Amino acid sequence: MKVLAYDAQKCTGARECEVTCAQTWFKVQDVAKSSIRISVKDDGFAAQFCIQCGKCIEVCPTEALYYNKQGIVLLKKDLCVGCMSCVGFCPYGVMYFAPEEALAFKCVACGQCVKACPQEALKIVELDEASTDVWNLRF
Amino acid sequence: MTNKIIRHVLAEFPYQTPRIERGYANQTLYVNVGTGEIKAKPVSDEMKLKFTGGKGFDLWLLWHAVHDDTKWDSPENEIVISTGPCGGITQYPGSGKSLVTTVSPTTEIITDSNAGGHFGPLLKFSGWDAIEVQGIAEKDVMVIVDAIEGKVTIEEMPDAPNDTHLLGRWLYDVLAEKPQEKYYIAMVSAGTGAEHSLLGCLNFSLYDRKRQDVRYKQAARGGPGTVLRQKHIKALVVRAQPFKGDANHPADMERIARVGADIQREIATWDSVQNRMRNRGTSYLVEIMSDYDLLPVNNFKFGSHPQARDINGAYWETRVTQGLPDGCWYGCTVACAHAVDGFELQTGPYKGHKVIVDGPEYETIGAIGSTCGIFDPDAILELNFYCDTYGIDTISYGNTISFLMECYEVGILDQEKTGGLELTFGNAAASLEILHQLARGEGLGKIAALGVRKAKTYVIEHYGADPQFVQDIGMENKGMEYSMYMGKESLAQQGGYALTNKGPQHDEAWLIFMDQVNNQIPTFEDKAEALHYFPMWRTWFGLCGFCKLPWNDVVDPKNSKSAEPAKIPHHVQNYVDIFSAVTGREVDINEIIAMSERVYNFQRVFNIRLGKGLREHDYPPYRGVGPVTEEEYESRRERYDQQLREWLGLDPDAMTLQEKMAAHRHYRTERYERLMDAVYERRGWTRNGVPTVEKLKALGIDFPEVLAVVEKKLRAED
Amino acid sequence: MITLNKREELEWHEGLTVQDILKQKTFTYPHIIVSINGAVIDHDAYAETLIPDEADVRVIHLIAGG
Repeated sequence: MKVLAYDAQKCTGARECEVTCAQTWFKVQDVAKSSIRISVKDDGFAAQFCIQCGKCIEVCPTEALYYNKQGIVLLKKDLCVGCMSCVGFCPYGVMYFAPEEALAFKCVACGQCVKACPQEALKIVELDEASTDVWNLRF
Repeated sequence: MTNKIIRHVLAEFPYQTPRIERGYANQTLYVNVGTGEIKAKPVSDEMKLKFTGGKGFDLWLLWHAVHDDTKWDSPENEIVISTGPCGGITQYPGSGKSLVTTVSPTTEIITDSNAGGHFGPLLKFSGWDAIEVQGIAEKDVMVIVDAIEGKVTIEEMPDAPNDTHLLGRWLYDVLAEKPQEKYYIAMVSAGTGAEHSLLGCLNFSLYDRKRQDVRYKQAARGGPGTVLRQKHIKALVVRAQPFKGDANHPADMERIARVGADIQREIATWDSVQNRMRNRGTSYLVEIMSDYDLLPVNNFKFGSHPQARDINGAYWETRVTQGLPDGCWYGCTVACAHAVDGFELQTGPYKGHKVIVDGPEYETIGAIGSTCGIFDPDAILELNFYCDTYGIDTISYGNTISFLMECYEVGILDQEKTGGLELTFGNAAASLEILHQLARGEGLGKIAALGVRKAKTYVIEHYGADPQFVQDIGMENKGMEYSMYMGKESLAQQGGYALTNKGPQHDEAWLIFMDQVNNQIPTFEDKAEALHYFPMWRTWFGLCGFCKLPWNDVVDPKNSKSAEPAKIPHHVQNYVDIFSAVTGREVDINEIIAMSERVYNFQRVFNIRLGKGLREHDYPPYRGVGPVTEEEYESRRERYDQQLREWLGLDPDAMTLQEKMAAHRHYRTERYERLMDAVYERRGWTRNGVPTVEKLKALGIDFPEVLAVVEKKLRAED
Repeated sequence: MITLNKREELEWHEGLTVQDILKQKTFTYPHIIVSINGAVIDHDAYAETLIPDEADVRVIHLIAGG
């Protein structure tokens, strides 16, 4: 499966990834619209984003969420009724909600943030199964 | 399939779906299946302010439709259905309820009942805050609200099957031009049982995308399904456009999303270690109620049974299909609407069919199970399925059968009168046989079809039964059968059941733990306060389109540190936020209570207008208050004897059993009278249970025709 | 003796825990708040929390019944 990965050791907290994500998908600078969130830790930085585990697919009542062939969980916008089940039941708190569209959104491993990161702290990787290891992978 | 189906359109009304604004379509739909008249009625600002929506709208429309002498089967009686301004919100769990009102065939006053399913929200998204259906059709018809075609029709569809599980599949196939259109279709139907019985329920459908089949939730109390079939309506149907999560166009979507995210995480965190509603629904209550002596067994004689564990939540968790998003409306992750899939029927016209059985819910398990002495889960499933597809209220049916079982055991009925059935407690085969008879309008099924109150009259008039005994053991008040909690040791709950508008359904108040276990409301004034606050708070859910379960069935333990944990303040605040954010009408808890008080008092006056709704109608049967029989007394002798010592200063050892029972009866019934006085006073009513003119003025519902009803009654009292 | 919910007197013995009381009374409902002399006891501490003699014990069941 294709999934975003993050190397905390390389990250300097530039937050270009957040801005790029919001800009790419919502055409805004507001990082509340980003599917990747960088937080400050005592010893540096951490990132939260979808690991493509698929738990949200089970709770979606409209079958709007699904795995594509590359193992990425995607949302069919025309089926989503904005019910936030996936938001509340995401084990990692990385499914988000856009009130003005009444739609859920998440990281789809599009790679735009990878290009934007000045430190090359983000990368698209291939894994056999979903793992939180991608939040701190050395590469 | 569509081409071959005969659709004979009797009446057609074209319309354009208006934009829904802040939870309201701002119009209601009137359909007369007798005359063919179909029209739109505007919703005024005053109607929204004073009646909110849901049951409030229902009652206001029904009030103007009926006369003082309207009966359930009068042509002018209506079925009115509305969800309310928050109905159809998908971001807060339990926001898809529909409220039904009609003049009831069993209580002969206003009944209201609620159901999940998709009808109410899809009706609103199709442009209608409520639908009122009046008149009686000549032949069976469908009423179809088709937002895609932009029309409302009354149609004869002679090929349509009658029982709900067949009708649903058939109708969805007929109406959906593409498979995905099924997602946005909903219907309300009954079945052959409702044609031959006063206990008819309404099935509210939803399309289950995972199962690719139609599922149903029931608005059952008070016989609305009987009214539907008496009007010769097979189904009310809505065919809606696809919709998005902001279809209500709320005033503040961001605020809704914030609260929605909080409650979804709360459910995700706590349900699995609390009631496990997501795994087994309300059936978790069976064993708990048995542990607290609150599970009705053998027509409410007893409150627990060792075999309760055979039908408890842990069992049903192994039986209902796991892992599916079983909400009855989108976003409900409490997801209590479970189902047993692939159940093979053993009896009746569909014997051998493999079907989906919706539920079973706690009330159903208690009613067709434990209170009939039945602890066989397969029998409960079979009864549940047939009640639903025949369009029969499981609670009323179970109570009626348990009443007849007790009549059989004491000799009022015998095998000659039952047509050879050995109608003892626990005989599931007999209950099933009577249910099939009922659906055919035959045999003992014709007596079961009457409900408990009219069955009482029947056995008194035809079989010479002792009227006092029959009155004592038949678990009904106002003509409605009791829901499934034993209230003998909770005076407050006796009031919670009988000091109600429609009858003994616990949707107004469930006070047993506060009263009997916690001892939090020891005085009459305390109980009266609880019988004011909780009925008003709980009424409000039915004005807005909300379900009560997400309020109190999963709760972050931080609630225990709050000032009034029983009210669950952080959830109350959620509802304040959601209502304010949808409607743009900023409210607080006091205004919420006031909204309910208007509708509650209006309903009380409505009942008075129909000739009831007074003190004399608010008495419970003694089976719900204390021990009727020696067997019951003996089963709890230690408790009852102790109560004689502590409450009355009597020495039970020096008394005969009859004396002890008489002392209990005198004491318990006298306390109930005092409770009535306290509750009526708290509610602003006279000692006869009539809302005062001052109260109606204070609430702003002093409409001339409302005051006229009350003033006439008050003059008669003077 | 201890008092339960301001009404019932129950025998006290050395080593009596909250869990013992819940078991004795068949209090199986999961939504409860237990306090001893006004202090709320955490859910996961019922087994080890000792109840002193003469204690005012409250076991408040939150509402049920939808």
